[in-house]
Amino acid sequence: MPFNVSGILFLIALLGVWQLAMSAGIFTSTFLPEPREIGSSIVDLTESGEMTSNLWHTVYVTLIGWALAGLIGLAIGLLVGLSLEAWRYSMASLEFFRALPGIAFVPVAVLLFGFSVKMELIVVTYVSVWPVLVNAVHGVRQVTPLHNDVARMMGMGRLARIRRFVIPTMAPFVAVGLQISLALSLALALVAEMVGNPTGVGQALIVAQNTLHPEEMFAYVVVIGLVGVLLNWGFLKLLDHGFPGTMASERQPL
Amino acid sequence: MSSSASQQSPTPSPPAPLPLRAIRFRRPRRSLAIPPLRGLLPLILLLVVWQLLSHGQSAYYPRPSLWWEGIEREWQSGELKPAIEATLQSLVLALAISTVLGSLLGILIGRSRPADRALGPFLEFCRFLPAAAVVPIAVLAVGYTERMKVFVVVFAAIWPILLQVRSTVRNQSPLLLDVARSLHLSRLRILWQVMLPSLVPSIMLGLRVAAPIALVVVLLVEIVTQVPGLGSLISTAQRTFDAATAYGMLAIVGVIGIALNALLAALEGWLLRYRPDGS
Repeated sequence: MPFNVSGILFLIALLGVWQLAMSAGIFTSTFLPEPREIGSSIVDLTESGEMTSNLWHTVYVTLIGWALAGLIGLAIGLLVGLSLEAWRYSMASLEFFRALPGIAFVPVAVLLFGFSVKMELIVVTYVSVWPVLVNAVHGVRQVTPLHNDVARMMGMGRLARIRRFVIPTMAPFVAVGLQISLALSLALALVAEMVGNPTGVGQALIVAQNTLHPEEMFAYVVVIGLVGVLLNWGFLKLLDHGFPGTMASERQPL
Repeated sequence: MSSSASQQSPTPSPPAPLPLRAIRFRRPRRSLAIPPLRGLLPLILLLVVWQLLSHGQSAYYPRPSLWWEGIEREWQSGELKPAIEATLQSLVLALAISTVLGSLLGILIGRSRPADRALGPFLEFCRFLPAAAVVPIAVLAVGYTERMKVFVVVFAAIWPILLQVRSTVRNQSPLLLDVARSLHLSRLRILWQVMLPSLVPSIMLGLRVAAPIALVVVLLVEIVTQVPGLGSLISTAQRTFDAATAYGMLAIVGVIGIALNALLAALEGWLLRYRPDGS
């Protein structure tokens, strides 16, 4: 993977201009901290252990919720995609649920499950299921009739057909669904922590906002943005290992 | 096995008619593209069972008929109408800004290879920054206002459009611009008559991805900050343990989400009506 020098330079230049403008007094603001302050805040929070524990909680919930959503979405997606009758009698309902903005469920989930990790996990999983599920259904249905005919002619069993034709055909679609879900999971974990379960980065952000500590807020925002990029990058790497070439169009120099 | 044996011979004899049961008529694929409405049966069944099984005033799972009463209560108190208006206004405004700004930035960045490379990591960072994390910053910077809401929503909804347009422009055939240049079209006319039409499919694709995100983020901001809108009504219902109203608001939000989706699909179909394949 070639190193994107100009991209890194741009980021450094951006931070440099920001820092210079603020320390020269050209641009001052009570809510926008200097990059230097954000940096030292990241160091302070890491040293006090707050950053690590908050981050660990958020990433943990994100990954567990995402994995659950992936499994559930894949299972239902396979079922609905493979059986025409199941598709006819359920797809419209599934499309309906997908169109419901998941975020609106957060208050209801807080009402039902209280201020708990369980609530957080349920919210994350519920919202992240849909991209995987819908993409899986779509992917399964992309298996061409020709492949089905070949399978029938070769006397393949159901499992062999799924392994040889269905899974390779659906893999790119599922991969896209999983990628979307991963970003969604992280976002929903934050939201759930902001309004419901009082732990993790979401809660830390709200506390920093209420106690007027913009540099801490920016520290968390920067770190959570990096975590998002890192999760996506890790996912693509993993995918490339398991299903080479699936997301070739997504590959970009870092 | 006789038919496969005849196919292996170099000069095939006229194929024997297949046994009748082997002939399978396939429906045209188009009929399988749109899920039939009978697929709504499980949903209806769920609501009916819910209505029948839920007894009295269940605190957590109020029956659907009570949702309706919750909606009516909010309507009569005069809070529902302005809330719906506030949510829709922010949504439409933010989507309009995202579309225009996202397309323009996408064209500018996609046109220049060095800019594209230099801005890549920055855009990547912004794209993966969860909108929820931006809310506290926007609140501190702009305050608890409608403008803050639109700002956060644009920040979240612009990326699908921007990135889609950027990658389309990047992969655009140079022939397109060569033709325009050899016709001595002005820059404005190139943008308006060549670039824009070629980008409409990408912009619409980006917009269709961005619209649900925008709706989600509008609600998110309203839930987290209590700025007026449907989100704050849901959040208030949760805080006062009024589950029926919360479900009722949820239903309204769902209708908005589905209507938005259908509206954009119709708009896309109309804008791209000249395309024979309808894709």
